[in-house]
Amino acid sequence: MKTLLWLLTSILLALSACATPAFATEEALRFDNETQRKLYQQLTAELRCPQCQNQNIADSNAIVSVDMRQKTYDMIKQGSSRDDVLDYMINRYGNFVHYQPPLNRYTLLLWLAPVLMLLALVALQLKRRRQQAAESSSEAAAESASEQSASAALDAELDELIEQYRSKK
Amino acid sequence: MRKLMFYVPLVLFLTLALFLLSGLFSNPMERESVTTNKPLPAFSLPDLMQPAQRWQPEQLRGETFLLNVWGTWCPTCNAELSYMTELKQQGVKIIGLYYVLPVDPLLGESFDLTMLQADVSNKLQQRGNPYQFNILDADRSLSLDLGVSGAPETFIVDSNGIVREHHIGDINPQVWRNKLAPLYQKWRQQDGSQ
Repeated sequence: MKTLLWLLTSILLALSACATPAFATEEALRFDNETQRKLYQQLTAELRCPQCQNQNIADSNAIVSVDMRQKTYDMIKQGSSRDDVLDYMINRYGNFVHYQPPLNRYTLLLWLAPVLMLLALVALQLKRRRQQAAESSSEAAAESASEQSASAALDAELDELIEQYRSKK
Repeated sequence: MRKLMFYVPLVLFLTLALFLLSGLFSNPMERESVTTNKPLPAFSLPDLMQPAQRWQPEQLRGETFLLNVWGTWCPTCNAELSYMTELKQQGVKIIGLYYVLPVDPLLGESFDLTMLQADVSNKLQQRGNPYQFNILDADRSLSLDLGVSGAPETFIVDSNGIVREHHIGDINPQVWRNKLAPLYQKWRQQDGSQ
């Protein structure tokens, strides 16, 4: 019984995960081919609504997003490429409107930051490793030294005992 | 050196906290417009009240003016009408760009110009009429070309038809005094010399 329930739940979960977000407006749109439809989906997901905070135009129903979706559709139907549509939008709404900022002097830090952080982490880790290695080797040396001195002391003690034993005899 | 390292997390935390704190007071709607310092986009749109009259950018040259994007459906736009009427009385030239809703709850699904005209003149009688005339942007094509993201927005356009400022949000006494008036005066003064 339990396994059956578990199976049922997992199937339901898997199904809900598979269900892609429905593009309500898109059902009414007709494209000449599958490439155009893909391009439309890609562009409306990548273009950012200028009025709302952090929504792409596919998700937003602000008037400006509706207009931008329509324009994207019209341009794709007329055979515009991905870059044509992006240029058109960026010429009107700025780089803000695209979720992939271009690499220029204003965004250099933005693009480099992850790499710099990774390098810093690797450097830190290397430094730490080296320190640990140095510490453990010096520890080992100290240990062996103390061991040596201890065995020397034991030897001396043994010698003394033997000496005592012999002198008693 | 070790003592200094002890303070590193604190310094990092304070920097981050200050950065995030400054974010609390920043305006997320504020960004540089890319349509400024460019000529008005090409258009040929009808007058809202006399649709037989069509407006083209060339007809708007000769004097610096404010191009105010608005609609009666937009409460903030209605609120700024009376202050802009005061500005008009002070001699500021204001032209309206009427931003039509795709589906206006008042007008319903189909676009009815007569109903819209009645609604607009009603509103302008109530609140004051700051406009010389209104350009009807029924499909919001000029608004899209100007990078309008909603209403109200206001552009300062100089006498050569170059867009000089793009203001997102309403015009109130504070915004006018601190931001728009100096720019308007600056371009206004150059009207004659060009």
